[in-house]
Amino acid sequence: MPSYKAPLRDMRFVLNEIADPARLRALPGCEEVGPDLIDPVLEEAAKLCEEVLFPLNRPGDEEGCTIENGVVRTPKGFPEAYRAFCEGGWTALACHSDDGGQHLPHTLSMLVEEMICSANLSFGMYPGLSHGAYAALRQHGSAELRGTYLPRLASGEWSGTMCLTEPQCGTDLGLIRTKAVPADDGSHRITGNKIFISAGEHDLAENILHLVLAKLPDAPSGTRGISLFLVPKFLPTEDGRPGVRNGVSCTSIEHKMGIKASATCAMSFDEAKGWLVGQPHRGLAAMFTMMNAARLGVGVQGLGVAEVSYQNAVAYAKDRVQGRALNGAKHPDKPADPIIVHPDVRRMLLTMRANIEGCRALGVLTAVEHDVAMRHPDAAVRQAADDFVSLMTPIIKAMFTDMGFESAVTGMQVLGGHGYIREWGMEQYVRDARIAQIYEGTNGIQALDLVGRKMPSHAGRLLRRFFHPVLAYIEEKGEDERMAEFVLPLSKAFGRLQQATAEVARRGMGDPFEAGAAATEYLKLFGLTALAFVWARMAEAALDKAEDDPTGFYRAKLGTARFFMERLLPQTGALTSAIMAGGKSLKAFEEAAF
Amino acid sequence: MNAPVSPLPSTRQDAAEGPIRKVGVIGAGVMGAGIAAHVANAGVPVVLLDIVPGGAAKAVERMLRADPAPFMHKSAARLVQAGDIEGGLPLLADCDWIVEAIVERPDAKRDLYSRLEDVRKPGSIVSSNTSTIPLAALTQGLGEGFARDFLITHFFNPPRYMRLLELVRGPATRADAVEAIAAFGDRRLGKTIVHCKDTPGFIANRIGGLWMQSAINHAVDLRLTVEEADAIMGKPMGVPKTGVFGLLDLVGLDLMPHVAASMKAALPATDPYVTGMREHALIARMIAEGRTGRKGGKGGFYNREKSASGESLKRAVDLWTGDYRDSAKARLDSLEAGGKDLRALAEHKDRGGQYARAVLLDTLGYAASLVPEIADSPADVDAAMRLGYNWRWGPFELVDRLGPGWLAAALREAGRPVPALLEKAGERPFYRVEDGRRQVLGTDGEYRDIPRPESVLLLSDIKLRTQPLARNGSASLWDVGDGVACLEFHSKMNALDPEILGLIGKAVAMGKKGAFRALVVHNEADNFSVGANIGLALFAANIGAWGEIEGMIEGGQKAMRAMRDAPFPVVGAPAGMALGGGCEILLHCDAVQAHAETYIGLVEVGVGLIPGWGGCAAMLRRWSEAPKAPRGPMPPVAKAFEMISTAQVAKSAAEARDLMLLRPTDGITMNRDRLLADAKSRALAMVEGYAPAEAKPLRLPGASGMAALKMAVEGAARLGKATPHDEVVCAHLAETLTGGKRADHTADTTEDQVRALEVKGFMALLKTDATLARVEHMLETGRPLRN
Repeated sequence: MPSYKAPLRDMRFVLNEIADPARLRALPGCEEVGPDLIDPVLEEAAKLCEEVLFPLNRPGDEEGCTIENGVVRTPKGFPEAYRAFCEGGWTALACHSDDGGQHLPHTLSMLVEEMICSANLSFGMYPGLSHGAYAALRQHGSAELRGTYLPRLASGEWSGTMCLTEPQCGTDLGLIRTKAVPADDGSHRITGNKIFISAGEHDLAENILHLVLAKLPDAPSGTRGISLFLVPKFLPTEDGRPGVRNGVSCTSIEHKMGIKASATCAMSFDEAKGWLVGQPHRGLAAMFTMMNAARLGVGVQGLGVAEVSYQNAVAYAKDRVQGRALNGAKHPDKPADPIIVHPDVRRMLLTMRANIEGCRALGVLTAVEHDVAMRHPDAAVRQAADDFVSLMTPIIKAMFTDMGFESAVTGMQVLGGHGYIREWGMEQYVRDARIAQIYEGTNGIQALDLVGRKMPSHAGRLLRRFFHPVLAYIEEKGEDERMAEFVLPLSKAFGRLQQATAEVARRGMGDPFEAGAAATEYLKLFGLTALAFVWARMAEAALDKAEDDPTGFYRAKLGTARFFMERLLPQTGALTSAIMAGGKSLKAFEEAAF
Repeated sequence: MNAPVSPLPSTRQDAAEGPIRKVGVIGAGVMGAGIAAHVANAGVPVVLLDIVPGGAAKAVERMLRADPAPFMHKSAARLVQAGDIEGGLPLLADCDWIVEAIVERPDAKRDLYSRLEDVRKPGSIVSSNTSTIPLAALTQGLGEGFARDFLITHFFNPPRYMRLLELVRGPATRADAVEAIAAFGDRRLGKTIVHCKDTPGFIANRIGGLWMQSAINHAVDLRLTVEEADAIMGKPMGVPKTGVFGLLDLVGLDLMPHVAASMKAALPATDPYVTGMREHALIARMIAEGRTGRKGGKGGFYNREKSASGESLKRAVDLWTGDYRDSAKARLDSLEAGGKDLRALAEHKDRGGQYARAVLLDTLGYAASLVPEIADSPADVDAAMRLGYNWRWGPFELVDRLGPGWLAAALREAGRPVPALLEKAGERPFYRVEDGRRQVLGTDGEYRDIPRPESVLLLSDIKLRTQPLARNGSASLWDVGDGVACLEFHSKMNALDPEILGLIGKAVAMGKKGAFRALVVHNEADNFSVGANIGLALFAANIGAWGEIEGMIEGGQKAMRAMRDAPFPVVGAPAGMALGGGCEILLHCDAVQAHAETYIGLVEVGVGLIPGWGGCAAMLRRWSEAPKAPRGPMPPVAKAFEMISTAQVAKSAAEARDLMLLRPTDGITMNRDRLLADAKSRALAMVEGYAPAEAKPLRLPGASGMAALKMAVEGAARLGKATPHDEVVCAHLAETLTGGKRADHTADTTEDQVRALEVKGFMALLKTDATLARVEHMLETGRPLRN
């Protein structure tokens, strides 16, 4: 059986020594956010994840969800765990105090989410979707809708969904067919079919609130004609209890590769009563305002799975003895050395570790900017922070989830044949991690978002929020000899990124196909350079402390940083070559020849 | 003031020898006064008389304050002699041409003409600026002698800016009178002459009036919002972005019933213009309530209102209720479908498509039915609508975009008659290019070359018949004959980019090898150049590619120097805006032949930068060598600083001379179609014995000058006239213009040293967030950010 311990030491390192804690504390409502507040929250979350959620992960996968007469049941133990989750206040962590939430910074909830994703990715889907619905409703809903629904979402009594996809359209939402017809009482009647609706129906909460994209009768075609509606499973009574059943039902649940304990539903809306959220025809824009948060959340799923896979791979590699170290036996007393002595096993483990710790730091830095973008009193500061978050969102979503899947596969590889066996738990991570590369905008779409939207936006202003600080850092540390082994590789990767950015922008202006052809490699190049930046900063923070380091934490940091710079970052060279080669070979290939 | 009296015409001989040396204008309303001002713009003395005592003098005063300005230069007002009709008629005795622009009543006009007969000199020409009254009705009972000297000259509002001049001759009008006015209108006033038949509304107002009427009727019938109607009319059909309702607001709704009444009186009852007339209760109500458009102050179809919180809200009339509601951007599928393809728009099934189709059928069917009744050639009709209504395409060009066969079929399908001209065209377009010449289909079904007035040289014509000598994505080099090459920009907005700089370098190299004798820098776009491509620079700055940007500035400086130092003459021939880098190109030309409507300025501080392509050095040189400037090192610096630090833009070529952006020796051409020919002659005249100007060193004040400028800027900041970032920008500008800390007025500073300071200041500013914010704001809104 696998095991999981929340990486609290590394989380504290990133929060306190890499991110700027003062930047968070300067935000309204965050004045108290210091170790005294953060540590107990993280410790409590770790306890819940390790002791309640993690033990349900394997059985949940084996049992899966079931449907009978439109009623969906989650695996054994899930309803009880959900109740404990709500009672612990975890659904309300990042909700506004107006709605009974704790209004803690996103930075903190992101770390809690990582633990939940490590412990039980399927379980995390339910509160995750609710929080997305909460954010959309809070930002765009009328005062009346907010008053009725937000406190219940915050408390977890009611849960939420996002109903976007239909059988004929996923990425291209302009093609949706679900209709909304205005009713005399100011509400609407929603009719249509939605698929792939996570948490669309289940037995965890007493009511489910669906946020549904639909078209009004006079809607222009395409994405500018989509409106957002709130459709509750049960219409609330006067006193806010679930009342009459609405015309919405689950017709089936999907049989999936992974996250089997998360109910993925086909939903049918038949003259269901719904209320408009935001402006008519502006539904997609309303959804997009929370897309950053949702995509960052999916990125964290990749990080969470990678972490648990890494922990179990390390445990196995230390325990399993096979063969002798190539440079002489390390444990002559034993029949063989533990496999962790082998260079390729070490390569696998360090690759996972360098990626995980790098991503965690990058994620936290981005989450801090997200909090600044949401809360800072100065509009210009908010704008700059929002630019950074918008820029990093596709990178985090795609890079973290690719990394999550690759780490799950690598972790499985470390276990050899046992990794392929269900009871070891490693193959579940591979299956669970895979979806994160696909949903909430496939990673190909993320890459297009980066080169097609984020890069040209405001003539590159979003890019400035990353490029200028990195440039300043390189200039500032360029003279520091102790930092040379980190700053020189960073500088080299950064130069490549600059060159590739100018080239992709130039070519893309003339021919968007060229930008699309470079997109995935460009995102990877950008992501690696961003990791190099955080690794240089982590190395810098560790340098002084590695002298007197009883636990070896800082020495390990430096070692991982060196591994990253020497063994992972050079991929930027190959990526740059591929980008510079352009899209000719992709374009010229005849369709019939495929 | 050491300003020139006014821009002189392209060839001085015309002024001295032409038959029209003094002009009289009667009626100092908007049109009469505007015509008088524009005659003065041409450097010709003009008498302006009004029926109201003192009215003409008031009109001149009003025009000196008006924006857009009717005068190209304030000094032109001195050429206008104001008087009253009562008692002032003798002032017209020595006028060669008398323009009547009084109230649109035939009896009043005839009465005035008979009084003119007593004062005007023999052989003088009289014309009316009437827009609807037939010529025959105006000459009635005035005798053969008057009819011989009389014609209609129909200007468009505002006369300085609208390029169309419709001429109508009567059966008795002498040919030399028509020729004299046509020549004066063309060369001196810069107008394109379109000869019209003597029919109501002539060409532009006949078709334009029907178009507006149709556009209103169908908008109401199809229940479009005014925003939707204007969006459909705007970009897809090539009408200015005001569309139709915005245009009505501009000209005044109250004008509509008057125009309709006079057209109704003049046209047969069966004419589609008359049968399509409708009284809209809404428009009647708006006129009654004084909501007649922008000039009334109570709004029109659009209105700006202050919200409770004090912000300005754009409101629009609901065509059904007549009440204002918040303005909402048009969202129609047809608008997207028809973005580029007019036929796709006209075939679209939504209300926008139906609307476009209905208005196009009305307007284009009508236009096609009126040739040859109102004009001899479809090309005349198109020219009139392009220049008189600012349409991007004339009606027959629109027909070609739809396909003549498509239009005929659509008319037939709608049960409407198909005009004979359209039948004759069949599937053939109205325009084609044959052997490198543009031809138009005539009423006889034959194609003919489109005639160009004598000695007009158009780059667009040359481009049809030759291949460029060199070309890249942003610029081309053309052989314009007689050993002269023309460098054309054609990047987006003619923004200067590395490709244009590259072609400048290439052109200079080719000229050195003898590929041509002289170079003209000219293009026929709306604007000569709006400056460097700041989008490229901003992107490079955002990714911190400083080396690349520095290379762009130094490359620009190199190209400018190469142009100036080339062993052959380089003549700039700008029209429209020549800003920033576009201005710096002109500053490095050996001579400039500018269109009168050229707007020049070094506007870099608007985006938080300073001129980097030698503009600072060139302005120091200009002011140092200014003939009447005070001596000493400070005056040239102060002058250059004043204009660059305020991003001053000359509002005409004449004003550009005041600012030394044009030299006293640089020429001005009134007619845009003659600009290339004039620039070419100027270039050829310089070939013999040409040697590039010597780069003499400058004397600059250094630190002491910098301190003086700094104090001035601090003063402006205290008065709230300079923002904090203005101070930063001005500091760099001051350092550059004074030659830097180490410069001293007792020692030489080279232009190279000033240019190095330009690069230094430019780079330093581009690294500030405030400058980047300014650049971004300009790119996205077209307006400067005051941060």
